[in-house]
Amino acid sequence: MAASTPSSGSLLDSVMRFLPISKKNARKILASLVGTLLCLVAWQAVCSIPGAPLPGPVEVFTDTQELIIGAFDRTDPNSTDVGIFWHLMASLQRVAIGFSVAAIVGVLFGIVIGSNQLVYDAFDPVFQLLRTIPPLAWLPISLAALKNNQSAALFVIFITAVWPVLLNTVTGVQQVPQDYKNVARVLRLGRVEYFLNVLFPATVPYVFTGLRIGVGLSWLAIVAAEMLVGGVGIGFFIWDAYNSSLTSEIILALIFVGLVGLLLDRLVAFVGSISVPPERR
Amino acid sequence: MTAFLEIDHVDKIFPLPGGSRYVALQNINFEIAQGEFISLIGHSGCGKSTLLNIIAGLDGPTNGGAILNGRQIESPGPDRMVVFQNYSLLPWKTVRENIALAVNTVLKNLPVAERQAIIEENIQMVSLAHAADKLPGELSGGMKQRVAIARALATRPQVLLLDEPFGALDALTRGGLQEQLMRICEESKVTCVMVTHDVDEALLLSDRVVMLTTGPAAEVGQILEVDIPRPRNRMEVVNHPSYYSLRNEMVYFLNQQKRSKKRKAATPAVVASNGLEKINLELGFIPLTDCAPLAIAKEKGFFAKHGLESVTLQRKPNWKSIAHGVATGQLDAGQMVAGMPLSMTLGNSDNAPVPIQASMVLSRNGNAITWSKRLIDQGITDLASFKSYIQRDPDKVHTFAMVHPSSMHNLILRHWFASAGIDPDWDISLATVPPPQMVSNLKAGNIDGYCVGEPWNSRAVQEGIGVVMATDLDLFPGHVEKVLGVREDWAQAYPQTHVALLTALLEACEYCDDRRNRAEVLEILSRPDYVGLPVEMMAPGFLAPFDRGNGTKPEDLYTFHQYFVDRSACPDATQSLWTLAQMARWEITPFPRNWVEVIERVNPTAAYLAAARNLDLPDISLDRKPITLFDGQVFDPNAPIDYLDNLAIKRNVRVAEIRVDEIFSCSVSTPASTPS
Repeated sequence: MAASTPSSGSLLDSVMRFLPISKKNARKILASLVGTLLCLVAWQAVCSIPGAPLPGPVEVFTDTQELIIGAFDRTDPNSTDVGIFWHLMASLQRVAIGFSVAAIVGVLFGIVIGSNQLVYDAFDPVFQLLRTIPPLAWLPISLAALKNNQSAALFVIFITAVWPVLLNTVTGVQQVPQDYKNVARVLRLGRVEYFLNVLFPATVPYVFTGLRIGVGLSWLAIVAAEMLVGGVGIGFFIWDAYNSSLTSEIILALIFVGLVGLLLDRLVAFVGSISVPPERR
Repeated sequence: MTAFLEIDHVDKIFPLPGGSRYVALQNINFEIAQGEFISLIGHSGCGKSTLLNIIAGLDGPTNGGAILNGRQIESPGPDRMVVFQNYSLLPWKTVRENIALAVNTVLKNLPVAERQAIIEENIQMVSLAHAADKLPGELSGGMKQRVAIARALATRPQVLLLDEPFGALDALTRGGLQEQLMRICEESKVTCVMVTHDVDEALLLSDRVVMLTTGPAAEVGQILEVDIPRPRNRMEVVNHPSYYSLRNEMVYFLNQQKRSKKRKAATPAVVASNGLEKINLELGFIPLTDCAPLAIAKEKGFFAKHGLESVTLQRKPNWKSIAHGVATGQLDAGQMVAGMPLSMTLGNSDNAPVPIQASMVLSRNGNAITWSKRLIDQGITDLASFKSYIQRDPDKVHTFAMVHPSSMHNLILRHWFASAGIDPDWDISLATVPPPQMVSNLKAGNIDGYCVGEPWNSRAVQEGIGVVMATDLDLFPGHVEKVLGVREDWAQAYPQTHVALLTALLEACEYCDDRRNRAEVLEILSRPDYVGLPVEMMAPGFLAPFDRGNGTKPEDLYTFHQYFVDRSACPDATQSLWTLAQMARWEITPFPRNWVEVIERVNPTAAYLAAARNLDLPDISLDRKPITLFDGQVFDPNAPIDYLDNLAIKRNVRVAEIRVDEIFSCSVSTPASTPS
């Protein structure tokens, strides 16, 4: 331990000389790099055992080099044989549509339900039941109802994302601090003024919490849904790779799915951070 | 003139799970003048903020109400702006937007330009122009509170309500803000009510400080006038001669309340049961017309009706034996003269202190001062002629009698003589004589007069040996005469029985005050078990016209024996304080510096109010208001020590802190405390 401290210190110094980052952040980045590297090494070691069923990281990289280079290939727009980027884009598009509808519906209904105790008491048990249903369980019923693969996939995204958005909005509305309500009562604010000046701004942090959970869940759901409904999409890509026994491609796709999921989460968090004043985060 | 803001008998009761109730505020009653600055002070949990919220309209009272400009406050409104402890600024709006929201909502009838001007003017007023476009999150606590004050004042409210506005700030910021608030309030002439913990803050800012006792059932304990002239300066007020005495008084009050809080916390929980803990009671009484409620409750079956199946009334020869009986537990409760619960609680050299509660008033008035016919025949018909008569012959001893040192007879008789410049200890001699022996002593010439309850005044008149000089109605109408005294630990051990006893007696009081029943009441009293005198002897003043024996026409005195009307039976803390001051005046007891604690302890109202509820009577206790006697002298219940200081004729008044529990716990541990 004592021996490693000066060496890591000098390494930090050299990193900091090249990058405009603080010492604290540099330490963080360095630690995460080391952690990642350790995982890769462990993975490689496990898969190097003779007879291992899965490829190690080096093997995955060499196997999929072509695929990474050709990520943006799209010779025939109607074919499913396109670059992995386009599969991701197709999935993202579905998430974008389904999630947006879920966000709008969730926030609107959440405000209505949260502001009225009677409506809340009436619907809360139903919501509590529905929100526990796993996303994929909705797929057969939506296929039966909508009779269209695409619409069914979109519906699954919607139904997955809407509960966290709705329930968080309801909580947000119910948790408007009594102090703010008292201010509104003393000033005798009208309904519209109360909504615009107090209720909605006070609920925003809760809405963004709901949106973040919602977007994560819908990204989880899309991959599974696409495996079943087919067409272009990262879920289909993985299933296709499995059917072709291309294990390395599956692993590559998983890494991309993870990266995109992370990006989505950070994107919503970023939008939230510019919409919510710092002291309320 | 009606008050600008009136807090009218406000009670606040919170229902608890399980059907019981928590009384937070009880009978809060005071008035606030326009432009006045009032502070509410008390320990945490005493209901100060609840009271402020009731004025704001954010919370409703259970009983009573707050009245602003003749209109009852029912909901919050911009005429009563609130400055909350935690500022309550909307964090997503800048300073200017926060103020603008208030101004644009409340003053929406004004043209836009004028509103803009008001907003800017108020930002300037609290010196925040440089931070007008900042969000609250970027401001310090003091700046936030300035925004909150500006927001409240910008709408030009009639009343500004401040809930511990500077509680969360450091001392330096607080001082600056207090001065700023004081200046703003003086300029805008706004009426302010502020809740605070800080004694110095209350003194600096207020015209009056309302001190609340510790909950549950918090009441107004004392109201202090702060007579420091304005404009005040934070550094200079401390040099004002009354600053430290006011400050000490407040700190002392809070310390008393801290002890009272501890005692309340140590009180065993009330056993919640519908059944009574004890149904066989021994009650002591003295044969007098004003024992009527006890006699009626027994004879008309009110005790049994309320579950007290075996009540024995013990007729006692004198007050001392009642005091002894209650103190030793021989009696569960007893009829007592007004000052007895106080003097027993405080104790004296002969008797160890025993905390006694005056749980209800059994009767008011009923006494008169009678002089021997011999004095009248010599032309001495009033106090002035009596004074010159004793001055003519200083060596001759004139003896007057009363029934007990801590009875109203003694205190009123002394006050009456003193009002004419006659010192009741040096100019005349006072003797204690049991009531039934008064007339014979007067006849025998042992005494020149007395002050006693009926029928012993009428008796002297009827026998032609005495003349009634004054009745209670002439001297102190509505004074507490007899109370029901119980030991404090008895009341705590038998809470349900206590309430049942008060319920039965209250119903009997109501019965006795109905003139249709009075003939029957007299008949019952005339039985040998009770007073044992013929009806016609007891009738004057009670049912028949009262003859003073001085040749004037006998007149009906409708409230001469008062049992029930005007909430007569409710424990009377203000009068209890008057009694305490009089006993100190004549050196019967020292005056407790912690009088708020003593008075609160001797006159608890909870059991009485529960009894009133049992009978569907209004459960309201009495108001604290000054007492004015026949001679025009005013007794202010907020300043009893000033009253004592200003009296001309008095003994050595000793003011001392009397820690009842400490003396009490010492005295029980020593076996030798045999009452004489």
